[in-house]
Amino acid sequence: MIIVFKPTVDGVLLACGSLADHPGSTLMVAKDGRQLKEKLRFSGIEDQIVRVGFDPSTNTSRLLKNVFTNTWTRISPLDPGPLKYIDLVLRHGDADPEDLVRLLWSCNGDVNAMYSKKTRISLRYYNYMREVTRSWQRLCMFSRPSFTNGLLFAEVDSPHEISDIFCRWLARKNPDVPVAVVTDGTAWIGNGEFVGLEHFTTISAAFVENLQGSADDEGIDELWDVYYDSQMIEKRRNRGLAKKMQPLGSSTLSKMARRDRYKVERGISSCTLDGFI
Amino acid sequence: MSVSVEKLTNGHHRTLSERMQFLSSGTKYDSCNQSAVCHAFGPDGRCIQLYKTLLTNYCAGECAYCPNRCERDVPRVSLTPEEITKITWSFYRKNAIEGLFLSSGIIGDAEITSQKQLEVVQLLRQQGFTGYIHVRMMPGTPKYILEQIADLANKFGVNAETTSSINYSEICPNFDYKNDVLQRLKWTRDLIREKRREYRGTGHIVGANDTQFVVGAVDEPDRDIIRTVNKFMDKYALRRPYFMSFDPIPDTPLENGSPSPKWREQRLYQASFLLKDYGLMHKDLEDVYNDSGNLMNTDPKLELANMHPERFPVDINSASMDELLLVPGIGPVSANRIIHSRPIGSEEELARMGAVVSRASPFIDLNGVRQTNLASFTGGYS
Ligand code: SF4
Repeated sequence: MIIVFKPTVDGVLLACGSLADHPGSTLMVAKDGRQLKEKLRFSGIEDQIVRVGFDPSTNTSRLLKNVFTNTWTRISPLDPGPLKYIDLVLRHGDADPEDLVRLLWSCNGDVNAMYSKKTRISLRYYNYMREVTRSWQRLCMFSRPSFTNGLLFAEVDSPHEISDIFCRWLARKNPDVPVAVVTDGTAWIGNGEFVGLEHFTTISAAFVENLQGSADDEGIDELWDVYYDSQMIEKRRNRGLAKKMQPLGSSTLSKMARRDRYKVERGISSCTLDGFI
Repeated sequence: MSVSVEKLTNGHHRTLSERMQFLSSGTKYDSCNQSAVCHAFGPDGRCIQLYKTLLTNYCAGECAYCPNRCERDVPRVSLTPEEITKITWSFYRKNAIEGLFLSSGIIGDAEITSQKQLEVVQLLRQQGFTGYIHVRMMPGTPKYILEQIADLANKFGVNAETTSSINYSEICPNFDYKNDVLQRLKWTRDLIREKRREYRGTGHIVGANDTQFVVGAVDEPDRDIIRTVNKFMDKYALRRPYFMSFDPIPDTPLENGSPSPKWREQRLYQASFLLKDYGLMHKDLEDVYNDSGNLMNTDPKLELANMHPERFPVDINSASMDELLLVPGIGPVSANRIIHSRPIGSEEELARMGAVVSRASPFIDLNGVRQTNLASFTGGYS
């Protein structure tokens, strides 16, 4: 038997439930009906097929209870709940949803086994979850949107699918302005009601780019440099720690972060207020 | 000694950028980070997540360690509430900060100063600012202003600076420890409790009571500091203390003092985490101090373990949470993970749980085998 599932949280949980009913089945992932047809034609498989996760959402929490019999205990304050865990893993550029289903199935109903890092595969997927979280958090930390014509605008280039969650975060942080986060020709819009759209939606990036004019935040970069430099305690310079905290990767996220990273590497010029105080 | 409010206009011949630099520089030793998103890290590795500024560096106070004390001959500048809000908004929209940290020199008296601070916070909130605001209040701030600040700021508090009235009067001669500091810590605790009840379930962040100690300005041992931290945790619901290492400033009464070694601050933080995260009491740490009552430049948890060989080895697969927490290299998260993943079969598995095996191994027993290292082989741990 072949279990075909959609790479969503529902799809993964339903596939896991089907695998429990039909152990030994082959797993196959497909984004939609068309991809499914193509995959089947290509593989030439003619086994019985079970399709799961393609219908509109069922009760996801109930699906989780079908797969895991015990309750989740938070081990680390950094750990998200199991549904969020699955969601984050599915966003990872290297994650294989079929492997993920097998991992959940191998937990034998113990939800905490997903977090235990006891086996190599659970460690790998736990790390995937953490990597996606870290990429998203780095965007939140080091991305510096522009504020143009009353629109907060950011571009995201990441191997993981995190633009939508970053857009939601930015929109929550700035509830009084519309927010656009652009990736690969698509713009995620938050607080869309300010520009006549739904609260959270996607539109073509070209539409947002039309709104671009001269930024309202000119001069901020220079002011930031003054502020950043003012916080330095020369006697406590700690290059190793600073490089770890302001990683090289942060430089790719914004010009401001690139300059901060440069100062972490090279130090701030000796013209500071330390002489004065 | 008193500085009039009008004098605040002085310094305005300097550019905004210059005044901003003076006043932000005046807060660089202040620790105020909340546990949310950091947006940059300085070359010293410290997180920058708030726009930290003084309202003014005019000050009527004579605190012996402070670069802003009134008798020092330094350029005095200030920012208007409008200027502070403008800078805060600009950085905030740019996603360079999470909010504002506002402190100040004393203008006239504590009441006038805290009113000015309140004005800034009110202005920001009126403009729809939803970011984080932390106000470091003046010793002696009246209760009615604290109440208004509590309505608008996410965090506010008064610095204790030291551990006793006698020490305090030595370094902050204009204020009274019991009344201007401890009484305010108590009011802050009560207001925070009230706000927590009020905002429950709304997502509004209400910070815990916090305070800062200047380490090394007066001759007080670490034992006294840790004991005071513990007392404040019990009495004023202090969640975590901040420590600021004393650095002598020219033209101050303490200019000839010795700077506090950098590691002292770090060891004090480690000891305070043992109170906060490990549930220990200050008296549990009695063994880790040297004869003068100071911490040594080693991890206090490792020191504690070495002083109590009778508590080890701890059996990884049967120990209680409290026992696991005593093991160097095992923190609250890894202990929790171990308990949920037992049985643990190997050191490799233990490392995956987040334990630092090289530190933990002399103190643990894994599947009936006591782990060893050179120190234990030579009798260092038994
Ligand atoms: S009150 Fe004391 S510590 Fe605060 S600025 Fe004035 S002199 Fe400095």
